[in-house]
Amino acid sequence: MPSLYRLHRAALCAAVFGIAAISTASAEEIIIGAATAQTGGLAPYDQPALAGLRMSLDELNAKGGLGGKYTVKLLIKDTRSDTAQTATVAQELIDAGAKIMITPCDADPSISAGQLTQPLGIPTLTLCGSAPVLTGAVGDVMFGTYPADNVQATAVADFAVSEGRKKVFLLTSPDSTYTANLPEYFGKVFEKKGGAVVGRGTFSMGQPDFSAEITNIKGLADKPDLIMTAAYEPDFPAFIQQLRGAGVTIPVYGADAIGTPTIKALGKLVDGVVYTAAGYAEPGSKLEAFNAAFTKYAGHAPESTYEVNGYEIGLILDQAVKTAGSDDPKAVRDAIAGLKDFEGITGKITYAGTDRMPLRPVALMRYEGGEGKHVQTLIPDAADVPAP
Amino acid sequence: MLSVEALKIRYGEVEAVRRVDLTVDSGEIIALVGANGAGKSSTLGAVAGLVPVASGKVIFDGVDITGLTPEAIARKGVALVPEGRRIFASLTVADNLRLGGAVHQPVAEARLREEEMLELFPILRRYYRVKGGNLSGGEQQMLAIARALMGKPRMILLDEPSLGLAPQLIDTVFDLIAELRRKGLTILLVEQNVALALEIADRAVVLANGEVVLSGTAKELASSDLVRQAYLGA
Amino acid sequence: MIAQQIINAVSLGGVYALLALGLAIVFSIVGLINFAHGELMTLSGYALLASLVLGFPFPVAVLVAVSCGALAAVAMERIAFRPMRGASVTSLLLTSFAVSSLLKVVFQNGISARPQAVAMPGWMTGAFSFGDFTIGVGPSISIVVSALALIALEVFLRRSVTGTAMRAAAEDFDVVRLMGIPASRIIATAFLLSGLLAGLAAMLWVAQRASVDPLMGFTPVLKAFIAAVVGGLGSLPGAVAGGFLLGVIEVLLQATLPGAIAPYRDAIVLSGVIAVLLVRPQGLIPAVRAQRS
Repeated sequence: MPSLYRLHRAALCAAVFGIAAISTASAEEIIIGAATAQTGGLAPYDQPALAGLRMSLDELNAKGGLGGKYTVKLLIKDTRSDTAQTATVAQELIDAGAKIMITPCDADPSISAGQLTQPLGIPTLTLCGSAPVLTGAVGDVMFGTYPADNVQATAVADFAVSEGRKKVFLLTSPDSTYTANLPEYFGKVFEKKGGAVVGRGTFSMGQPDFSAEITNIKGLADKPDLIMTAAYEPDFPAFIQQLRGAGVTIPVYGADAIGTPTIKALGKLVDGVVYTAAGYAEPGSKLEAFNAAFTKYAGHAPESTYEVNGYEIGLILDQAVKTAGSDDPKAVRDAIAGLKDFEGITGKITYAGTDRMPLRPVALMRYEGGEGKHVQTLIPDAADVPAP
Repeated sequence: MLSVEALKIRYGEVEAVRRVDLTVDSGEIIALVGANGAGKSSTLGAVAGLVPVASGKVIFDGVDITGLTPEAIARKGVALVPEGRRIFASLTVADNLRLGGAVHQPVAEARLREEEMLELFPILRRYYRVKGGNLSGGEQQMLAIARALMGKPRMILLDEPSLGLAPQLIDTVFDLIAELRRKGLTILLVEQNVALALEIADRAVVLANGEVVLSGTAKELASSDLVRQAYLGA
Repeated sequence: MIAQQIINAVSLGGVYALLALGLAIVFSIVGLINFAHGELMTLSGYALLASLVLGFPFPVAVLVAVSCGALAAVAMERIAFRPMRGASVTSLLLTSFAVSSLLKVVFQNGISARPQAVAMPGWMTGAFSFGDFTIGVGPSISIVVSALALIALEVFLRRSVTGTAMRAAAEDFDVVRLMGIPASRIIATAFLLSGLLAGLAAMLWVAQRASVDPLMGFTPVLKAFIAAVVGGLGSLPGAVAGGFLLGVIEVLLQATLPGAIAPYRDAIVLSGVIAVLLVRPQGLIPAVRAQRS
């Protein structure tokens, strides 16, 4: 695989020069700050999402910019996957004049950046942070873009119940909002629909050894027929390798964070693992067309649906600026919050009436023979979705 | 065999040795005597390559060995028995001896050499499997000398072999040094016990404040007023 | 259940012991805690991945990977640490941090920030049972490999001249040189051994984690450091004892702590380390060092 970083930098240079050329023609420029992880644990999520966003901004700039008149200047700074560093670079981006802020794929750094943008009223969008508590923790400038954890968990739970699963073991980690809460949302829906939570276990992110937890699972008097976790890389491969290595064959379900090439490359090891995505590229769909266009743009196919999600952020911003008729942060914020049934690439996106976590479809996927196979796409019933 | 010319040693700002010249001929015992801090051990260290030389030269067998690494100098046939013995406490007597003869000779020869050493120091045969740290001071000194001899050196540098030993043991050690000399080994001996040193040495060099203040045959020095007053307490 | 947890503890402890030994060997000779030890593991992990991608059979790939770890360790000494010989402990420590950070950046930018999956052969994800007692193949391999490595190292250090010289050098390096044994050989061997141990540990680590990533070495080197300190810095038996102790404590806590306290697991382990050091400041099995005047 070629260096992602170098590719991005090349693309960034191109984008900056492109903008420079255009901005002499059009006087109006809007600065978007992206405080995102180029290194560390979040980089595998932030980078694809950012690549998608950059592609849409490049396309929009070619057509005159956001709303057709505000040429975007995208400033990117590395958070190193560190929450404190995220606040530092967010402040630098604000000082550089950012009117819109993009934050990493996780609630904690997004909240730390949001603490800075909220008092200034700067609309702030997380790339693919999906914790539903995220927007409430910051305030009215903070927007999620990816299907929220409780929505994803409900979709997976609905599917597990429809398969006839009855007893689940929940594996959580208190180290991040995502890994701590998503399985619990699942548990709530699962119990409401007649299933039982027969055991709970925890892990620390980066933990080398899951053997004790796995022995506990094996020792449960009431045998689970499903293990639900929101663990991701590198914990998820470690967990499932050691689980299967200990001779446990109980299926493991997760959510969007395991829809990555790394997990897919585990091959037979992850056969039967169910996960979620923001969409599925059916033949003839807009998503399929996007995937083709992205491949041409970036030189490689999208790794997951984070790319398209990032791309849709650009479309959302374009629509919001169009609706607001200006680049005034307050007006842009109101416009995003008012979006209803906006046609994205993956389906309809709605913010109106939500806590700024969008209502949008969830695709359920399952790994089989080293490939992610589409199971179904659904928008869970709002009444089933547990409160954050 | 060995000549030290205008040796100067510095530790940071401190000049430990200002100027030392001495020569050791083949088969001789030369005693290097003087008070604490006179620069005796530093001089030995410089010859063995452990102490960096600021200026001057060390010539062994006509070859300039100044600034060579300790291992290179050892391989040329100069062995240092350091002050305080510094045997390997956690290693057995056997392993201590083995390291002494590790790199100079084929394994079979080292075996023979070890057998010679065990003949020379019967106590070491008795404690062959005992850890060096469990030996008494005198036994450790025997071990340290035997270890140095394992590599078949042509010259041996002895740094304060009597230090910390009981009087009867000191005699044993000095008898041994005399015997080594009879066998043709060249010896440079650093010793605070000046009377003892002069008894055994052919010639002696007196150091004070990093400089040679007196040199001559052991007999001459033993009868010199300076030595008698300063070191022999007479 | 209890027997299972004991196996888990021994398996994890064995890997920690290999890692701690790798640190301790180098420390005992040159007084350096090599924090880039973890990156040697990462490098071995990537070497394994590359060998598998190139289509080498699994045993060959493992051999290549472990050798890469060992060679990288020797190269690291040559390039980064040899010019620093004789420098203060602090300078050496900082150098090792610099090497560690540099390698991490090289991995991130040269390969990928994303973890790379390493598909282990199918037989590694099995288990065999005795009655109602099942042992996973993974933990069994860990235990067997660590035991063999520890025995081989012990034999090397006891029987061979270089091994004996290394034990001696840990006590008094200068005197070893006075025996005519070259310092560079001792130091290079120490790094070679530590690299071999890092490579082996990396294989066990990757076999249990099924992926390699640029930051993979951080946790293991930290654990190894803790184990080595608890055992007695620079003491090889101490490093092994510390490794196993750490493994046992971690598995024990993981198995028994109620969910509400579980997040404090690492804090509890580190408190235990402090307690051990209060009672035995030199560690469980202190290193022997020459007393010099």
